[in-house]
Amino acid sequence: MQQIIDYIIRKKDVVVYLILLLFSFLLIINSNYFHKSKILLFSNNITNYTFDKLSFFNEYFELQKINSILNEENLFLKSQLEKIVNKDFIDSLENVSFKYKNAKVISNNLSSFKNHLVINKGLKHGLKNEMGIVSSKGIVGIINRTSKNYSSAMSVLNIDTKINAKIKRSSYFGTLEWDGISNRHLLLNDIPETADIKVGDSIITGGMSLIFPEGINIGVVSKVINYNKEDNTNLNVVEYSKIQFRENYLNIEVKLHTDMNNLNNVYVIESINREEFNNIKK
Amino acid sequence: MASIYFIVLKRFILFILLQGLLFNSFDLFGSFDPHIALVFILTFPIKINKINFMIISFCFGLCLDLFSNSLGLNTAAYLTAAFSRSYILSFIFGSFFDPLGLKLIKNYISESSFSQKLLYLLSIILVHHFVLFFLEAFSFKFITLIIYKTLASSLLSLIFCTTIIYIMIKNEK
Repeated sequence: MQQIIDYIIRKKDVVVYLILLLFSFLLIINSNYFHKSKILLFSNNITNYTFDKLSFFNEYFELQKINSILNEENLFLKSQLEKIVNKDFIDSLENVSFKYKNAKVISNNLSSFKNHLVINKGLKHGLKNEMGIVSSKGIVGIINRTSKNYSSAMSVLNIDTKINAKIKRSSYFGTLEWDGISNRHLLLNDIPETADIKVGDSIITGGMSLIFPEGINIGVVSKVINYNKEDNTNLNVVEYSKIQFRENYLNIEVKLHTDMNNLNNVYVIESINREEFNNIKK
Repeated sequence: MASIYFIVLKRFILFILLQGLLFNSFDLFGSFDPHIALVFILTFPIKINKINFMIISFCFGLCLDLFSNSLGLNTAAYLTAAFSRSYILSFIFGSFFDPLGLKLIKNYISESSFSQKLLYLLSIILVHHFVLFFLEAFSFKFITLIIYKTLASSLLSLIFCTTIIYIMIKNEK
């Protein structure tokens, strides 16, 4: 022990140098976005690799469940196909504006306010930022960072995520957000009080952005609360205090179709007209 | 002792203002700036002990970073230059170098051969520039570009630093 201390005292200028250098690295990493993302990418590559290997075991045990989900989806797609085949004229070149790519979720968390999930495809497979991710049942998230082999996405259960959505029956537009409480429910904001909405209405994506195409299922309305009406009295005090009321707008709670706890096969949506759209938006 | 720190403080302010306001916007041949603030490290009194030297140059780099809008980059580069200076001095000047600091830095520069002067200036400038550009690019992929930029700006800095050091020595006499 004495020798170690002696050694440190003898080399004290090196120690001071290393401490100060560490300090300046901290400054660099914290203040420059580029350096920060570079470090994050490097560390993510390591953790994602291990997650990728581990997910093999999880998949094996859930094979049966996945099979049944895929079967269901097949059935649905077949019935969709029937409708199209009966039409006389389809031009596949003109109508396609979204492409789908399949991917696997290799890590997913639900515990924080800003939940992220990681999928096993990246730049190499043509994924970019701001592409949407859907599962067979409904929306899952939006890609926000890509590396060579992996991409990380903000899940819908992230307080920063805002998704344009509409009510299928009456076509009212609103913004879908998460309040950070329940992982089965989202909030639909910006819908005026006069809108005609009942419990049980379907919510679908609105198609106002190029992240998600129009008409992907999100969930069902599970609760409608009107601030100005008197019938709020049936809510208990705890529930009432949680809600942030805005005058003249409805508070709508949406139950998700997707079970975020149990994600495996997902699809990434790529918009073909994206650059054109961005150019005209400038 | 106090007068030495006073001289250091004077140079500290002078070089930060010169570098930050004038030479950072030089942009010779597109993107090369001479880093004349290195004269502060090159002519720093040897009498002041090394740990104080490193802390002062850390603050020096930090102040420069505030001017060039890149927090931490200059800090690391100037700190590394300050750290490596005593090794470079003893390597180049050999027996002439005394770590106690009885000789002034002026003596080193005026009483040595041309190649020694050149090596001393060039090696510290190279160390500083390499660290600076490497941290700026932050990747091994651009290593050829980093080396090219290091060599080109070092040459530029060498010319400017030599001029300024000779002006300083002339004025003291």
